[in-house]
Amino acid sequence: MNWNFVTDHYLVRLPISETDSGALFNLLRQQAVCDHIPRTALAIESQATDELRRIALRFETREAAFWLIENEGTGELLARIGIQNINWMMLNAQLQWELSPACDLQVLQEVVPAILEFVFAELRLHRVEMRLRAGNTEHAEYLTALGFEAEGTLPAQFEFNSEDIALDIYSLISDKKF
Amino acid sequence: MKFTPELEFTGGRVKPLHYDDIDALFELYQHPEIPGQRPLTDKEHLNRMVDYSVQMAATQRGMMWAIEVDGQIQGMVSGFDWQPSHLRIMMRVDALPALTDEHRASALQVCLEFLQNKYHVRNFGYQWIEGQKESIKYCISTLGFECAAILRGAWRTGDTEFADVHQYHFISDKAKPVPKRLGDGDSPGQNLNSNGGNA
Repeated sequence: MNWNFVTDHYLVRLPISETDSGALFNLLRQQAVCDHIPRTALAIESQATDELRRIALRFETREAAFWLIENEGTGELLARIGIQNINWMMLNAQLQWELSPACDLQVLQEVVPAILEFVFAELRLHRVEMRLRAGNTEHAEYLTALGFEAEGTLPAQFEFNSEDIALDIYSLISDKKF
Repeated sequence: MKFTPELEFTGGRVKPLHYDDIDALFELYQHPEIPGQRPLTDKEHLNRMVDYSVQMAATQRGMMWAIEVDGQIQGMVSGFDWQPSHLRIMMRVDALPALTDEHRASALQVCLEFLQNKYHVRNFGYQWIEGQKESIKYCISTLGFECAAILRGAWRTGDTEFADVHQYHFISDKAKPVPKRLGDGDSPGQNLNSNGGNA
């Protein structure tokens, strides 16, 4: 199974622990990139190295898979997009993304369908959902444009900066029949 | 050591799972109320479940009670996916058809109260799976649960069949615990026998 693929303009590939920590750190050090999750931005580069090791372990146990999205021409890292909490019994998973300012809807509309095609056709999952900090309209609009449907809001899922965080849920259901 | 208390409610009680109850629990698992769940065939699995129920409670991963009405086990209340640092847990009741909705609600209620008072859990989830008894939704709404989201096709009922999950939440209005200096007044493992069982 090939986990790396190319779209018209972008390279969608699994990260390499030894070489990607600098670029990943530059992406995840930006608080605005993590606000929709929400999560605190990275502060030092070794956190990105640790994150890459964790991703590798989670990938080996088939619990998660994260891809780096690069501009094929320039090599610029535009986003990290992944699925996690893969439930192989229920055939569902949670999508998560961190998008650089250069990653807009046009990029997502080229890259996300390719990832979802892989998730539905190759991994044979049935449902992919994303949980967003409630009220994040920018990411909600991205999801809606990509065909996701809003399903509701889960209250008080955790605390972040002394606030109870509610999460909006959006999902996409596979139309594939196996 | 004891981590799961016996709790009385009008008409019955909930109590920790015990090896003596294996036959009654096996009967309960012959009538799964969750769509797609098959009747249990190997009684030995229930011995392991009793072991797990103690281990889960001791490590704050979950808690399981048998529901006893008129001296007969008619169901179970389970708390699972317990996130102690997020003060959150998912609840579930599995019951024989004989268990009334009133007893179902009362049994769940005393467990919610215990988890609020003893462990400061604030956020209780409950997943109603499409195909379960409709009256369960009303039953849990009387305890303060509100439907927060309908998760499409989130429950697999067969090889290629899926059911919607109606996810309910009840948020306790009790105050959050105030962090103390670490080590002051803690009771590792929450053993009810060693600290007076302040259930």
